[in-house]
Amino acid sequence: MNKIYQRSLFLVMVALLITTLVVGCGAPAAEAPPAEEVEEPPPAEGEGETVSLDFVVWAYGLETIQDNINNFQAANPNCEINLVNYGWTEYHETMVGRFAAGDAPPLLYGSDHWLEEWGSAGWLDSISSNFPQVLDYDDELAPYALQGMTYQDEVYGLSYYADTIDFVYNEEHLKEAGFDSPPESWQDVWDMSVALKEQGITDYPLILAFSQDEGASIEAMISMIYSRHEGSGALFDENNNPTFNSEGSAAYEAIEWLREAYEAGILDPASLQTTEIPQVQSMQAGAHTFTILPQYNMAELNNPGSGDYVGSFMIGLMPGDSHATVGYVRFYAMTPEAEKMGQTAMECAWNFLEYFGGKTDGEYKVVKRWAVENGLGFAQLPLFEDSDVQEAFGQWGDVDVISAQAELARAKEGLSPWFGTWDIFTRAEIHKAILGQQSTMDTLQNMEDYWNELASE
Amino acid sequence: MAQQQTGAVRRKASAYYMERIYPYISILPVALVIALFAIYPIFHAVRMSFYQYVLTKPNQHPFIGLDNFTDVITSYYFRSSIQTTGIYTLAAVTGVIIYGLGVALLMNTKISLSTPLKIVILLPWALPAVVSGLLWRWILNADFGILNGMLYAVGLIDNYIPFLATPTLAKASLVMAFIWKEGPLVAIFFLAGLQLIPEELYEAARIDGGAGWRILRYVTLPLLRPVFLVVMVYETMTAILTFDTIYVMTGGGPANSTALISWFAYAEIFKSLNLGHGIALAIIIALITLVLILLYLRVLRSEETAV
Repeated sequence: MNKIYQRSLFLVMVALLITTLVVGCGAPAAEAPPAEEVEEPPPAEGEGETVSLDFVVWAYGLETIQDNINNFQAANPNCEINLVNYGWTEYHETMVGRFAAGDAPPLLYGSDHWLEEWGSAGWLDSISSNFPQVLDYDDELAPYALQGMTYQDEVYGLSYYADTIDFVYNEEHLKEAGFDSPPESWQDVWDMSVALKEQGITDYPLILAFSQDEGASIEAMISMIYSRHEGSGALFDENNNPTFNSEGSAAYEAIEWLREAYEAGILDPASLQTTEIPQVQSMQAGAHTFTILPQYNMAELNNPGSGDYVGSFMIGLMPGDSHATVGYVRFYAMTPEAEKMGQTAMECAWNFLEYFGGKTDGEYKVVKRWAVENGLGFAQLPLFEDSDVQEAFGQWGDVDVISAQAELARAKEGLSPWFGTWDIFTRAEIHKAILGQQSTMDTLQNMEDYWNELASE
Repeated sequence: MAQQQTGAVRRKASAYYMERIYPYISILPVALVIALFAIYPIFHAVRMSFYQYVLTKPNQHPFIGLDNFTDVITSYYFRSSIQTTGIYTLAAVTGVIIYGLGVALLMNTKISLSTPLKIVILLPWALPAVVSGLLWRWILNADFGILNGMLYAVGLIDNYIPFLATPTLAKASLVMAFIWKEGPLVAIFFLAGLQLIPEELYEAARIDGGAGWRILRYVTLPLLRPVFLVVMVYETMTAILTFDTIYVMTGGGPANSTALISWFAYAEIFKSLNLGHGIALAIIIALITLVLILLYLRVLRSEETAV
């Protein structure tokens, strides 16, 4: 009897556990139809009603951001902005996690290379569909930046900063080697590098931040491809079909050049494990003469007290026939969360977006502040005529060259929801070509095959 | 009389309760906690692996059977990453056992400075893996790393070596970082095992003419077999699941040469945003680990039987 009782009790316990598990492991919420939406009237706009909006950024210039927020709140007492920040390298993963968990903030930083992914998932709300007045800014924006903020003909952002990927050289090194102007073509880069090596000025004249975990490596690579190609279609056509997979294409030439430069000791082998900060530091140390990096690094490169070569680092137009390069944009964006919070929140969201990425009293105040104080590039072309900006940029670069390179900049081709996945695959493939583990044509073929596989899913 | 009988029945019932029911009630809270935080996630993950879970498609999770598994097994990275993981695990586990045993033998001798030596040797174990990875990344830096600086200063190299930018050296560097980080724990295990071996056995061996290597081979190592088993199982699991060190040291490069299978599980979830693929990979990794552990147990048990 006791045994029967004991066994029964054990079975009850097991049943309890299994029930817990089965209930817990219920079918994924996936296919369930969306709950019927009950339309609630937006909260009445009472006088003095304050809304509180979270604004998520990656950690850069937090004091400046907070100061800008304070200024905005002083001008908009009904709007309270809570600043939340994550590290740049974790930003994408963290935000995707928050979106997927239904914890989207109403306001946040966005970027051109995530727009398709976030837009297609419905995680971002288009600004132009809610506030058509945002389109008034289009004429003053660099085309690559506008393109980088546009998804399915809707504008999803107001520019926080926009930058170009630049070819940078150490002028003192070149003069020491007997050159008085920067290279115009990739053959010039090769010839000058050979001279620099022979004269013992640098062991490895060129360094690139091509580590597999360096997010900007694809942009440097595409810049080297754009500069060899006239017009669009260097990588993909307008329907996002690959155009790079042929011998003699700009992509083929760029990868071949890198492979040969690696073999010849022109490209520092450490490039395959170098990220942006060590890249800047090794340039400051005078270990290399040429590099390719996002323009905002120029202020740091020529930062007084940062080394013996302060003032020697110059921007040259990207070597190649077209001198074209990649332009990219980071922007202020909003999510559907703002709309859910009601009309006052929406008005605050627009006022915030315009204050930060647009004009206040006829001036791009916040964008200009970033440019003057931090050396960040911008998409708002009239700022190139601003005397304060010219003076600030003149401290670390030639404003005419910067402006000329900005005009030649183009958005990354092939931006799509799967671009990020393809980028990760591509970084390793390019490494294999540079290391000689596979031919350049095999690399291009693999890149095309994987692109088509992703596009077909 | 009736009262006495009632009291006796109650005591009996109480004793029965204490003996038979109370143990189950006692373990119920713990069982529920384990069910909630250990068993449920496993069941849920296994279940999710049969559905499409792409984070950018939040409302589309159709049942797709084994497609997640076939997708990852036929993916471009699976074969190469399994190979890389195998080589890394073999080298790392072998290295850490040799290092740990060596350190334990050293610490087991009565040498002066053994206490400060123990502290120095054990220090890496106290560091988080991310800190350890960052340290090694800076030490091995090709432009200003201290290792290159030292080798150059003593004239052993003419040019700085790009340790982390060359596929073979990058793998070797990861193995070295693993040994440095995990070695102390292994040394502690072996030291504990060594201190359990009775001194009389060594004396008997010496009387029989044994010395040095022969004593190690025929006395010490056989008696450390249980420790070997624990160390091999634990370190194999740790090596296969290495992720944080790779994340900060190499990012899987160059050319995917240090991208273990665990790295791709991360990449599938956080870079490609495909939770279904990531979970399928995690389950495959768990199964591989399980098979290896069972294999170890079988081999070592058969050896014990043979002995």
